[in-house]
Amino acid sequence: MSNEPADMDLTGDRGSQTVREGIYHLVFFICAAVSVLTTIGIVLSLAGPAFGLFGGSGFFQDVSLSEFLLSTDFSPAIKPTVFGVLPLVFGTLLITVGAAAVALPFGLLTAIYLSEYASSRRRAVLKPLLEVLAGVPTVVYGYFALVYVTPILDAVPGIELGTFNALSASLVMGIMIIPMVSSISEDSMSAVPDSLRNASYGLGSTKFDVSTGVVVPSAASGIASSFILAISRAVGETMIVVVAAGQTARFPGSATELLNSFFQSTQTMTSAIVQLGLSDLAGGTTAYRALFAIGLVLFVMTLVLNLVSDVLVRRYQEDYE
Amino acid sequence: MATETGTTTEGAAFGKISRLRGIVFEYLTLAASVFGIASLGVLLGYVFWDAFGLQAADPLWYAAFAVTLVLPLTGFALYGRRNALAGEVALELFSTVMAGVLGGFALVVVLEVIAGSDVWSAYFATVAGPLAGLFVYGRRNEANWVGLAGLGALVVGPVVGTVALDPLTRVGELLGGPGIYFLSLVLPAAAIARYVVGDVLEFGSGDYAALATVVVALVGVPVADQFAAVTRPIWLMFHVALVVPFGIVAAKNLADRDRWIGFAGPLILAGGVALLVTLPEVFGIAGPEPWFDWQYVTANPSRFADQAGLYPAIIGSIFMIVLVALLTLMLGVGAALYLEEYAPSSGPLGAVTRFIRINISNLAGVPSVVYGLLGLAVFANTLRLGFGTVITAAFTLSLLILPIVIISAREAIQSVPDSLRDASYGMGATRWQTVRNVIMPRAIPGILTGTILALGRAIGETAPLIMIGVATTKFSPPGGLFGKMTAMPMQIYTWAGFPSQEFQHGVVAAGVVTLLVVLLTMNSIAILMRNKFEQSDI
Repeated sequence: MSNEPADMDLTGDRGSQTVREGIYHLVFFICAAVSVLTTIGIVLSLAGPAFGLFGGSGFFQDVSLSEFLLSTDFSPAIKPTVFGVLPLVFGTLLITVGAAAVALPFGLLTAIYLSEYASSRRRAVLKPLLEVLAGVPTVVYGYFALVYVTPILDAVPGIELGTFNALSASLVMGIMIIPMVSSISEDSMSAVPDSLRNASYGLGSTKFDVSTGVVVPSAASGIASSFILAISRAVGETMIVVVAAGQTARFPGSATELLNSFFQSTQTMTSAIVQLGLSDLAGGTTAYRALFAIGLVLFVMTLVLNLVSDVLVRRYQEDYE
Repeated sequence: MATETGTTTEGAAFGKISRLRGIVFEYLTLAASVFGIASLGVLLGYVFWDAFGLQAADPLWYAAFAVTLVLPLTGFALYGRRNALAGEVALELFSTVMAGVLGGFALVVVLEVIAGSDVWSAYFATVAGPLAGLFVYGRRNEANWVGLAGLGALVVGPVVGTVALDPLTRVGELLGGPGIYFLSLVLPAAAIARYVVGDVLEFGSGDYAALATVVVALVGVPVADQFAAVTRPIWLMFHVALVVPFGIVAAKNLADRDRWIGFAGPLILAGGVALLVTLPEVFGIAGPEPWFDWQYVTANPSRFADQAGLYPAIIGSIFMIVLVALLTLMLGVGAALYLEEYAPSSGPLGAVTRFIRINISNLAGVPSVVYGLLGLAVFANTLRLGFGTVITAAFTLSLLILPIVIISAREAIQSVPDSLRDASYGMGATRWQTVRNVIMPRAIPGILTGTILALGRAIGETAPLIMIGVATTKFSPPGGLFGKMTAMPMQIYTWAGFPSQEFQHGVVAAGVVTLLVVLLTMNSIAILMRNKFEQSDI
């Protein structure tokens, strides 16, 4: 009886223990709630100055919605100021298309190689190296595009490039987002069950037939999800464009202008935000509030893309897991 | 007959063509996999060429470079492929040195350059000291109030420290800088060395390790006094961050004869660099003219390329990243613990949990420039923490990488087997006791790995810093939490806009190399920890 340690209290001090556990529970919940508060903060801090929610004049009281959405001019500094978002959306699409033209094919082929052809040893070497591509700071990529890639491309006969141009920025951005495409695509290809592959081999298919005819179609939703995620990343990418693509907002009037805009300086939504931010942060002006209106458009675009990508990822996970 | 031969040739041709097609396709996919890596490699080659001014070097210098560094290191790498242990030991030693240098710099920046020994002594007495004491007490005694007391110290300590800053700094001045650091850094380091050597690695006597830590710190003081650049506080900090960890790792590897060969790697590297620096000078061979040198790291920015330096930006980046690390570790681990261990998965509260999870994965996809707008509107304009101050930047970047930290911390917590949890609950442990005694000790390496990788992302971010008004160029390091700062990527961005060749192909390239060296160090520490973690898991 007396062998039991004196301080061993089997009945337990239930009351204080419950309170203690409750406090820990609350503290951890607050930590998790910070992420929800961040989302609310983003929405309010973008919508506030854009619509004038917290008193004062909002951007859409200064500038009509139709001017913002329909005007093909963006000149925030020179009077009379015009705040049309179309040229910025066009610039963003231009850069995104260029980046996607590099990242989607190369990323998809990389995923096929890693998932179907590579030995486990090669995969162990290639995968971390590919991750390095996404780990290099974007301002460094911008510097690469401006100082090394543009002169190299300019030396190619038949290409006349400006110092700042959309082409080199989008090429370098494409290289940066290859791992986004390849890692999610590879995951979805690896999730395709071997029974499907074996069935195809049993019918006399070659490895090429299996890879392109069975694995890629079966992993289509995952591949599409990776494409959309990469495009979302390209839409939101800032520093490469700011450093290498210049600050000229343009909207093409004809097909030749559309093609030429790759070789010229261009402005995206993100680089317009940075340009406005460098000039005016104290608040109170239309230009300051325009920051948040453009930011809101950018946020909504990337959010929609991310949600679509999420839905597609869940689809392949439901299919095979 | 004719039809038969027809079909056979057709069949053969069919087989041939499809095999060719398959081979072409395989090599096409391989080429695509290598394309991005090779492009980055070429661009990095250009940057290093520019940053180290290699075009100035004599062909003979390249020969010396190949003989002293490239050949021996390639040889060691080839040997490392056959003897994995050698490569592992070499990576361990290399990462310890790099981590020690980085950690030493971080200590010097935060404690000596920004806070000063007197301010540090005040906050050590009110925050760091009590927390460390409670942690040690909680490890030794099973007392449930320790965690709560730690939380209390975390909240109350900074307040008391700030209110009583003046009297506490006076007490600190009594001891003087080196005395404060000896008490607050060297003695705790001795205790940690005793614990690590004696209890964790178990390869020697912990008491001797602790004694050696203290003795070497004291013996090093007269040695450090010989060098003007190394003050006594700086010596003590690098002793704690670099010398002691390296000593422990080296002693551990020396204790095992099979691991001795691993020392060859770092020795070859150090010897090769030493030879490469001395030999060309002796023989009068023209070496490279590097932009990336000691002057560059310690000088202020300048509009003259040959005088320009990155010092204020390096200090700003390191100070900011230390704050971001503290904030994201606390919030990220707390959130991950809530989602994995506490949150109900069903019922009305289950819906809240699911919402938080979806919310976090979507936050990870929000463009960084939008976080900059959040920081501008909330921290700079609404809370009035100031434009371009260290605290605004740290809060903004913490929110930016928090989703990544939470996701990786959740994975680390998930990887703790459920059998351990059930065993703990079966013994009657409460949720918090299970978290503290069972889950955290096993999840911490994974959490730290993910956090370091996320911090690597934060240190390279530029766009959010521009949006919160961080200065493009500053000529002095930040003075404190509310001081104006600049950061390495900001300075690179500014200089990249300078049209002159010397900046574009010299000063900026050196800045890029500095940033990449810091990133490489952080990543190699993370990889080392992941390897250790996976090994101990098996």
